[in-house]
Amino acid sequence: MAISPLYALRETGINLWRNVLLSTATILTIGVSLLMFGAFFLFDYAVANATQRWEGGIEFVVWMNPEATEEQNANILDAITTSPEIRDYEFVDQAAAYEEFKEIFSDTPELIEVVTPEAMPPSYRVVPVDPDADVVEELAGQFDGRPGVKTVVSANDTIRGIQDLADRAGLFLFIGSFVLLGAATLLILTNIVSAIRNRGPEIEIMKVVGATNWFIRIPFMLEGVAQAVVGAFLAWVGLWAFDRYVIEEFSDPDGLELLAGFQVSDNEFFTTSILVLAIAIVVSIVGSLVAVTRYLDA
Amino acid sequence: MIKLENVTKVYKGDNVALRDATLDIAKGEFVFLVGASGSGKSTFIRLLNREEIPEHGQIFVAGKDIAHLGAWKVPYLRRNIGYIFQDFKLLPNKTVAENVAFALEVIGKPRHVVKKQVPAILELVGLSEKMNNRPGELSGGEQQRVSIARAFVNRPLILLADEPTGNLDPQTSVGIMKLLDRINRTGTTVVMATHDRGIVDTMRRRVIELDRGVIVRDQARGVYE
Repeated sequence: MAISPLYALRETGINLWRNVLLSTATILTIGVSLLMFGAFFLFDYAVANATQRWEGGIEFVVWMNPEATEEQNANILDAITTSPEIRDYEFVDQAAAYEEFKEIFSDTPELIEVVTPEAMPPSYRVVPVDPDADVVEELAGQFDGRPGVKTVVSANDTIRGIQDLADRAGLFLFIGSFVLLGAATLLILTNIVSAIRNRGPEIEIMKVVGATNWFIRIPFMLEGVAQAVVGAFLAWVGLWAFDRYVIEEFSDPDGLELLAGFQVSDNEFFTTSILVLAIAIVVSIVGSLVAVTRYLDA
Repeated sequence: MIKLENVTKVYKGDNVALRDATLDIAKGEFVFLVGASGSGKSTFIRLLNREEIPEHGQIFVAGKDIAHLGAWKVPYLRRNIGYIFQDFKLLPNKTVAENVAFALEVIGKPRHVVKKQVPAILELVGLSEKMNNRPGELSGGEQQRVSIARAFVNRPLILLADEPTGNLDPQTSVGIMKLLDRINRTGTTVVMATHDRGIVDTMRRRVIELDRGVIVRDQARGVYE
């Protein structure tokens, strides 16, 4: 005969209440660890978005003034196409730059409304033959300051630096979250072992009268899952705040132009939220299963 | 109903709790297990309930070899065996009715069955008036009646009792034995480990005596010694 949902929920609630302090500690640890884990993913998404224009071997971008003359544009194009050190290039005109801008700032339509395609600077995204940092720097320097050029931005000294910083920060978040997830798993296990010991007499009676192992196990496993789900919710709130008050601050239009694309889309945030919930459930099931098989069935 | 064939149980350190035990207990029999402390009475009962597994031999309960029963089938075996403890093992935070209902709830019996069977069994053991009391508010004899009600509420084929009168005074013990006798008359097989000479000598039922794990006497309508 199957376990009644009402019975399972009642027993799970009793277990949680009897260990309320340990349950709280477990929930908070799960929440913080998942927050770090989720933050790693959001950070990774944001960096990928910010460095999107640097994909495909592009090492520097020559930004033209929107009001540059045709002659100035032609001179720059000529310099690019005749240079033996440049393998390839991509010209992004104002319309394409505006489309990219709209994609990057899709979550902030009010910003899109006040910017027109005419205000967007066209650019040449350049792929050098040799991606060596010194070569790229020297090559980019040849375009800097030329008539019609607004600025030259090199991946080597900016984006690659950000990517490197992001990689190290991400690694720190990733390792930290794994350590904390390990701690959370142990806390879930400890919590359930404590609940099992508290309910020793009841479990003894259950076994004697013929309750199945799963009937005895399920409330304890649900206890672990409930803690994980609440922890995941706390982590989700934290991630929302991280996205709203940290990542979006980086992409402030008044801030560095370089970080303009440093943001996370709604889809990416949703994917991260689901991932965080899934990890919470996996961690809780692992902790609960170890606890019930090691301490309940013994 | 119960059959042991050359059953031997050895604990750690070559401590033989039961040695080469062979016997048959028929359906509806009332059997006393007697013997000194450490003679193997509790081990005998624990083997029947599959709390222990023998090193050698076979144990048949209702035709099934429970010594080689898969672990997942053990709960279903136990639903046919009621168990009465010396120290009652009632749950102090539950009422009398809740303690008895617990035995049905945890094997997944529907609520309407629980609602019907619990009052009926409490009436049988004479505790209808105290169904809402907690164990701490009952006498020792009443607590043991609750324990019996819990063991019998699912109408098991066999009732195992490990010194059920061990914590009770002689007068209360008589009442408990009358209750067990009444249950036995419904066709339930009762196996009871006891040190209570007076009860065994008064009831004159089958007596199996154990001495250091060996069955030294198996006597119909027997006495304690």
